[in-house]
Amino acid sequence: MSFHTLMFGWEYPPVHCGGLGVACQGIVRGLLHHGARVTLVLPHDAAEEEGANILSLGNVGSDVVVVPAKIRPYDSMQSYAYRVATLGTEPVEQLYGDNLGEEVERYTAVATELTKNVQPDIVHTHDWMTLEAGVRAARSHGKPLVAHVHATELDRTEFHPNAWIMKRELQGLQKADHIIAVSGYTKNLLVREYGMPEDKITVLHNGTFNDRPLQRRIDDGTEKHPLVLFLGRLTVQKGVSYFIRAAQRVHELRPDVRFVVAGEGYLLPQLIQESFERGIADSMIFAGRVTNSEAKTLYKKASCFVMPSVSEPFGLVALEAITHGAPVVLSRQSGVSEVVHNALLVDFWDTDKMADCILTVLREKPLRSEMRSQSKRILGNLTWHRQAGKILSIYDKVILDS
Amino acid sequence: MSKHSHAPAVCFYFQVHQPYRLRDLRVTDIGQLKQGEYFDLEKNRAVFQKVAEKCYLPTNALLLDLIKAHPDFRVAFSISGVFIDQCREYGPNVLKSFQALAETGRVEFLAETYYHSLSAIFSWGEFCEQVERHVKTIEELFGIRPTMFRNTELVYNNEIAEVARLLGFRGILAEGADHLLGGRSPNVLYRPPKFRLPPAMRKSIARHRIHPTSVATIKTLLKNYRLSDDIAFRFSNKTWRGYPLTADTFASWVASSGGQRHGGRDRQCQSVNLFMDYETFGEHQWADTGIFEFLRALPGEFSRHGIETLTPSQVIQRSGRRPCDVFDAHAVVSWADTERDLSAWRSNHLQEAALVGIYSLEHAVRAAEDPALLDIWRKLQTSDHFYYLSTKYWNDGDVHKYFSPYESPYEAYRRYSHALEDLRCTLEKLAPPLKAHNS
Repeated sequence: MSFHTLMFGWEYPPVHCGGLGVACQGIVRGLLHHGARVTLVLPHDAAEEEGANILSLGNVGSDVVVVPAKIRPYDSMQSYAYRVATLGTEPVEQLYGDNLGEEVERYTAVATELTKNVQPDIVHTHDWMTLEAGVRAARSHGKPLVAHVHATELDRTEFHPNAWIMKRELQGLQKADHIIAVSGYTKNLLVREYGMPEDKITVLHNGTFNDRPLQRRIDDGTEKHPLVLFLGRLTVQKGVSYFIRAAQRVHELRPDVRFVVAGEGYLLPQLIQESFERGIADSMIFAGRVTNSEAKTLYKKASCFVMPSVSEPFGLVALEAITHGAPVVLSRQSGVSEVVHNALLVDFWDTDKMADCILTVLREKPLRSEMRSQSKRILGNLTWHRQAGKILSIYDKVILDS
Repeated sequence: MSKHSHAPAVCFYFQVHQPYRLRDLRVTDIGQLKQGEYFDLEKNRAVFQKVAEKCYLPTNALLLDLIKAHPDFRVAFSISGVFIDQCREYGPNVLKSFQALAETGRVEFLAETYYHSLSAIFSWGEFCEQVERHVKTIEELFGIRPTMFRNTELVYNNEIAEVARLLGFRGILAEGADHLLGGRSPNVLYRPPKFRLPPAMRKSIARHRIHPTSVATIKTLLKNYRLSDDIAFRFSNKTWRGYPLTADTFASWVASSGGQRHGGRDRQCQSVNLFMDYETFGEHQWADTGIFEFLRALPGEFSRHGIETLTPSQVIQRSGRRPCDVFDAHAVVSWADTERDLSAWRSNHLQEAALVGIYSLEHAVRAAEDPALLDIWRKLQTSDHFYYLSTKYWNDGDVHKYFSPYESPYEAYRRYSHALEDLRCTLEKLAPPLKAHNS
């Protein structure tokens, strides 16, 4: 009776680096909440699992099949993307050598083999790394394939895609029976750049585990040094250097403001250099990788959170920021801006306006108060339970059509 | 005629208004701006010209035809002062077309606050000055001194009605809000409850008197919002039961909405008051919805159903000295949103900060004695600025969004708060704090 989805995932907390793992967990938990059975296939080996979280999910109804492959999830992706951006036309084989490409191949082969005896009603993949495994599983079980797109190769590489990955992505998406895009922004990109038919794509925004904002210190606007926060991987995609440009403008008018850049990534040395060149090194703190609880503290302390992404399919950090009461300035080139309406929006490249938005948020307490007071309504409409319910409706429709 | 004797009359009033929208102001502009640089000249011109093409010019031409063709057809307008200013800047031909309508003698012009402001809520002195200026402008342009008052967005309460009476108006317009009607018809005249304002306030209002004498009882005309909204909001809604609405059907609805002719109010003049934004014709309801054909056919269908059209002051004349029921608006009612109160302009932190911010400058602006500065301060009072700050339904995406020139209420606030900061800054430069001298 109960619905069974065979899901191919890549990241999963605690082994995750970006939003993909968090989203995957939210979807799995949401589906379990609705009584669905979930068999989740992950690439990490048991040693990297730190077991507890995922296994406990297994105990409440999902089976976790761990594929014995040693893939470093996001980091290798990013360093790879960086190399693509700088080296351009380097052949894939040399870039990847024996890591990412080969790991994906191994994941695909082993995952297919491992799930031979699973009897799913539907197959659900998360991003290109798991697509081929999903395609094969769907074929061998004779079940429809739903491809969930959290990010495309174009987002990750600032539109300088690796041809091999993009081809794989494209072929997988073409074979999928239906596509779930994490935003209208991503749907448009899939239609425009990948030529996917519009009616094959359903937009489903990511959700949150918090259906209401959390308690926060009182904001009376009297801090000696108001804090403006960036949190994310230090990659081209996240637009962090636009944040530094905007910070310089803010600093010119408000030297009391402190900027925190939290997160790690290959751009770090370059960003530090830039903060010196722009004369704001003394006002800018590079916090490095932060734990979840450190992130929460930063969100709570921030008078303004900025997400300047160049191309952001969703942007879960924005949801986290509003959950902790931080007023947000968001790149218009993001999916999350479609649902986080209590934000000031800017084009990522318009650093003058970005600075102006930050300065306005810092000056105007009524603006901060109003933005905060709207968060409850927004978060309440975006729980993973609700979003997973919508996934089940998508499953129903896909099965009916297949 | 006798077979139609039960039919009520119809009273049309159209609101004509455009605000001065703000440009993309920046923090770095503050203290650097020349006076009046807050406004987005190109955007305001573009909107004005677009709406002139789609609505004002064609609808005025149509009304002129209808008035010539139907000897009994009449309408009323309330044209905001800032709209007239924009006519002068962006489209003198639009102003001429309203003057042509005025020359027919069958169009009434109502009085309002020149700047389409919410000054009635914040400053009676400011309110009276704006009404005075508006009346003077209307009289100069259209040759008639208005005797009827309608406040911005039909914002109304007992006090506003009493102030309008003291100013010398004979009638005032209001929303026929269900909770105040309590099942009574909006189609008859009402009056506010009798009470006296404090002598000092009466005295200061008297200084701004529009007409030399005040009537003993001011009459309140109520908007029949169901029939008004059938045209203004539902006309092109394909999921609405009444779609597609023909002039014949609408006239028959009006004819059958009289109701109480033989009841307790058998001697009352019944008028269905159809109050709406003028932009309904061609802008909110585009030409391809058939709205112009509908309007063109209306006077004929009204005659066929024995329905007269009257202007607001005619409705009052007809009722003579007959007693009216009390319409007791202790709290504010308006025609906005489903709440029909002030919440469209004053229900969140942004709106409160903007409203309090702008009205708190009154003293300093007057002290500066600079007409240009006074004009800018007043342009920032236009109610639209506060409407754009509404977050009530923002998350659901709704009419506020449709009617806002800005991307969001937060963006609207960014611009407005910069303008306010600059105005503060300018005033401080003109009059450095005087307190030290006073003490």
